[in-house]
Amino acid sequence: MKAILKKELKSYFLSPIGYVVIGIFLLCFSVFFYLTVFAQGSVDLGALYYYTALYGLIIIAPILTMRMFAEERKTGTEQLLLTSPISIFKIVMGKLFAALIVVLITLLISLMFFAITKFFGNTNIISTLVAILGFILISIATLSVGMFASSITENQIIAGIITISFLIISLFAGSINTIFSSFTLIDFYVPFSYGIISLESIISLILFALLFITLTIIVLKRRKLVR
Amino acid sequence: MIKLANVTKKYGKFEALKGISFEVKDGEIVGLLGPNGAGKTTTMNIITGFIEQTTGNVTVDGIDVLKKPNKAKKLIGYMPEGVPLYNELTVKEFIKYMAELKGVPKKEIKENVQKVLEDASLLDVQNKLTRNLSRGYKQRVSLAGTLVSNPKVIILDEPTVGLDPKQVTEIRELIRKLGKEHTVILSSHILSEVSQICNRVIIMNKGEVIAIDSPENLEKKVSNKNIVYVTVEDTGNKVIGMKEKIEGIKDIKLEKTNEDGTKKYAIEVEETKDIRKTLFASFAKENLTIFEMKKADISLEEAFMKLIEKGENK
Repeated sequence: MKAILKKELKSYFLSPIGYVVIGIFLLCFSVFFYLTVFAQGSVDLGALYYYTALYGLIIIAPILTMRMFAEERKTGTEQLLLTSPISIFKIVMGKLFAALIVVLITLLISLMFFAITKFFGNTNIISTLVAILGFILISIATLSVGMFASSITENQIIAGIITISFLIISLFAGSINTIFSSFTLIDFYVPFSYGIISLESIISLILFALLFITLTIIVLKRRKLVR
Repeated sequence: MIKLANVTKKYGKFEALKGISFEVKDGEIVGLLGPNGAGKTTTMNIITGFIEQTTGNVTVDGIDVLKKPNKAKKLIGYMPEGVPLYNELTVKEFIKYMAELKGVPKKEIKENVQKVLEDASLLDVQNKLTRNLSRGYKQRVSLAGTLVSNPKVIILDEPTVGLDPKQVTEIRELIRKLGKEHTVILSSHILSEVSQICNRVIIMNKGEVIAIDSPENLEKKVSNKNIVYVTVEDTGNKVIGMKEKIEGIKDIKLEKTNEDGTKKYAIEVEETKDIRKTLFASFAKENLTIFEMKKADISLEEAFMKLIEKGENK
């Protein structure tokens, strides 16, 4: 798993993708920092992370995940990967963690907004860390969706479009019918943005991620039979 | 080392493999031979665990590929068709990654990478991105990646496709060398290649194994014509008439007339006879000067075509 994680991470930063993602993220953070903290004179960073999670991840998740399996399938390198003595679970987790690390790097950089706010006002470190924890969880969930999309096609663009569509539709899913409300990922983030650690949200987001990780593994295993 | 028993692979109603069985012994170099669509790649993909067979058993060194896939995969080095490489990595990085994927112990990685870089003569391009390499180099990088874990079994899918003649010779030499310490299976549709490197040939067509034997035996098996080619100075057109004078000749045909006036004849002889001595003496008596005489051996090419035709007529 470590080998895959290392290589995936290297690939992100050997191509522009890693930098583009961090760039977009920081742009989101800066814009929302201006809109929530600067313009309103608030010292609460929860809103900053909430809006970045809401709008940023819709763009970021597909960019980070669309290549994952689609490209391997297209170039045939999946043959190298799937004939190596590494279980599909480890392959999937290796790739997911690599994408997550790119997000973590940005979150680390985002701490500068905390530093700035702290310098000028009295902001709470705990509630900021809770917001970041929630951000990590919601990132894992959205990245899992993207990874799944990437595993079902060999076209990265299609994988990206599936992910974006899913994430956008999920925003409104709850308002269509309450049955779908558990697909409105961002709702689970709300408590975190208030600095509250909600067990329900944590479990929901983790279950959501597990669902798509499992689906990805099933797709990859199934392909062995029909390829 | 490798054993396939009644392996089938179905895609819906289409049967890509119709129950093939064969065994490859330790240290053998075996060639899978067949026209496109014969099922060679499917067979290799099944052995390497990339795809799963519909029915049947595959074992590598006694390990069932389906039951303990990771253990089996560790023993195998696979170079797939079309040499897939990670474009964003350099040659060295790629080979190192392959070693890590295959679970080579950390201490040995550096040494192994260095060794295969040397073996595949890649030292001068080791820091180049794989995407910038020519086809021949890519092939060698892929091969090096296959060898880096020092696997017991090496499976090469069309290892010489797209190479220039010099590179083909080099790769063949390398494969022959590998055969001393490893079990090698390679696929090809070039017969001369297989007959040069392999101890045994498995001929496949339309998802079936139609023959397994050594290249020499295969040639023998299907050769049923005994033909001698002679090139003579035959100004009087006497050769055709020799048919009646020498016993055992079935037929004499003029193959071609050369620029220097000599003519090449194909003389078909009864099967078991070697007629060359008699021919020489009789031709001399008739004042026919022989410039060249050669017993035709049926080429593996013909053997292959015949076996395939036979299989299809069944």
